[in-house]
Amino acid sequence: MDTLLSILNWLLPLVYLALAIDYGATFILRNRTHDRNPGVILAIVFHGAFLVLWGVRFGGLPLVSNYEILSVVAVSSAAVYWAIELVTRDRRAGVFVFLLIFLLQYTSSASLSVMIAHAGDSGHMQAGLGRLHVLPAVLAYTALAFGAVYATLYLVGQRNMKHHNFGLLFDRLPPLDLLGRMSFQSMQVGFAFMTITIITGGVLFHRFGSGGGAMPIDPKLLAKIVIGSAAWIIFAMDVFGKYILKWSVSRVSAITLAGFLIIAVLFVTSLALS
Amino acid sequence: MKLSVIGISHRTAPVEVRERYALTGDLAGRFLRAAHLENVFEEAMVLDTCNRTELYFVPTGAGDCMDSFLGHVAKLKGLSGDVDKSVFYRHDSQAAVEHLFGVAAALDSQIVGEHQVLGQLKDAYRLAAEQRTARFLLGRLMHRAFRVGKRTRSETELGRGSVSVASAAADLAAQIFSDMGGRTVLMVGAGQTAEAAARSLISAGVRRVVIANRTLSRAEELTRELTGANARAIELDRAGEVIGDTDIVICSTGSSEPVLTYDALGDIISRRGKLLCIVDLAVPRDVDPKLGDLPNVFLHNINDLDRVVARNIERRRQDIPRAKAIVEFEVGEFVKWYDSLQAASTIKLLNRRFELLRQAEIERYGGKFSDSDREQLQRFTESLCKKILHRPIAFLRGLAQDASVSDQLLAVETIRRMYELDEIEAEQNGRGDDLENDE
Repeated sequence: MDTLLSILNWLLPLVYLALAIDYGATFILRNRTHDRNPGVILAIVFHGAFLVLWGVRFGGLPLVSNYEILSVVAVSSAAVYWAIELVTRDRRAGVFVFLLIFLLQYTSSASLSVMIAHAGDSGHMQAGLGRLHVLPAVLAYTALAFGAVYATLYLVGQRNMKHHNFGLLFDRLPPLDLLGRMSFQSMQVGFAFMTITIITGGVLFHRFGSGGGAMPIDPKLLAKIVIGSAAWIIFAMDVFGKYILKWSVSRVSAITLAGFLIIAVLFVTSLALS
Repeated sequence: MKLSVIGISHRTAPVEVRERYALTGDLAGRFLRAAHLENVFEEAMVLDTCNRTELYFVPTGAGDCMDSFLGHVAKLKGLSGDVDKSVFYRHDSQAAVEHLFGVAAALDSQIVGEHQVLGQLKDAYRLAAEQRTARFLLGRLMHRAFRVGKRTRSETELGRGSVSVASAAADLAAQIFSDMGGRTVLMVGAGQTAEAAARSLISAGVRRVVIANRTLSRAEELTRELTGANARAIELDRAGEVIGDTDIVICSTGSSEPVLTYDALGDIISRRGKLLCIVDLAVPRDVDPKLGDLPNVFLHNINDLDRVVARNIERRRQDIPRAKAIVEFEVGEFVKWYDSLQAASTIKLLNRRFELLRQAEIERYGGKFSDSDREQLQRFTESLCKKILHRPIAFLRGLAQDASVSDQLLAVETIRRMYELDEIEAEQNGRGDDLENDE
């Protein structure tokens, strides 16, 4: 089964790369921009099967290591994108989303050995409260990744429009209001899940973290707390600015992107300290 | 191929000449009724657009088609004096098909790739069908022409991108807003350009239009003309009051000073928190350029729109060879279809079909007969097939003398379908190709 898992693990980034290429062709050639892509649902099913096999092999949810979480973020991003495409019937942002998903899955797949080393190490993350911390974190990462992709596209599109640059991107990008709306809504969803993640993380820390003594705090955990709190404050400002201060779409998008970059730093730091 | 076109277009005559021969309104129908009574056109269809007046027809060969056409037009339009025939063109046979397909592809239009001509062709065909002057041949030809029009629009860049300033304004707005139906447009000024832009936006889906104009009566008049939208008129100095609820602003007043200034509107627009597309079509400009510096505002002036239009025209021009290739292919297909319906070749195929059937049956039952009986059987089946085929072959031969082109084609096509002669032809062609390949 390990061989099968290994093969599937390396096929996954290729599947997402193929989807990114397919969406790239749609973006450039401007054909089928409003059709649904059956490849997305096939990729999700394929990825889902991989995760189920993984769970069967290692006896638990694939939510222990950061690399497993990356893979789950990748498949949930694909699922969210599939839902978005279903509603908006617009495929033009697909290439950017699937490039990100490819990068996430490639990073995850490239660390297979690390995953195997961590898989089955159920520990407290497989416990009920642990799931309540990790699952919303996965959803938060997914939604914030979406927010960042759409925010980037909005900022690029806005810059083109402002500078009257009527080139390829002007033609191919989805309308700006759609990009701005998708960016903000994704960020809000991510922010909500991030809040839940922080609360459940606090409870976990209280129960298991310090062990009740004066033990020095784990540097990985400290980095997570500091960077996560900074990102949370930025997203909170973003929501407040949008609703109360009537900030412009470009400012909201730029802050969404900045918040995501901090989250990315958090993730990379967490990987580095693993 | 018995098919021709006579016409006058923007390529051969200026508008003041073209309008003399235009068959607008009910004139096209009256022309067809008059032409139908005459023994000059077996089939006829009139295409009349602002750039061309054309008659597509199947001649009977009984008279001069150009004279007949011009005579009817002169009578209907009350024209007197000599007609300058040099401004008219005539294409026959395959050239007529090429011309029609070029028209359907909008390659022959003044604005290459424009969309109206396909609809106008459909209307022209509908009228001819109603008047019973378009039958099998023109019907097939027109359906192939519609296909050409659709293919060039879907497979090339020919029909993409706006090529007028007014529609470019609507395109710019569509790059900012996904759902045009929920948008409110503020028209500042009620001139012709504003009206054209408003119409483009309405056809793009906009349903709420506010027209602010110095002369309120003109704005009110325009609201009545803009069907398909909920339009209301206000005085020009109230434009600032509604801009807070507006998504798209189109300016085209004749004012020498900016009408929308940063000092008056900067704060209002900044506080909106949503996107605003402003298109300034006026020269001198109506909108203070400083408003374009606000983060949520996208300000475009006439220069920007001209650039969009120029870029789209260039893109269409670059794709003309692809469109021409589609036309060429479809002309080839049509000619192939037409040629396949010739009586002589169909008779050959029919004979071949029966011969194959005969041989198959002899092979099937031949073993039950003695050698001498088998010879009799050969003769009997040959004779039977000839007798069975005698009437259909005589009918096909007679068609060439007695029937109209459409009747001939229809009959031949029916027979070909009935006996699946295309299969036989394909087999024969395949064998021919194989022989060529062997050589």
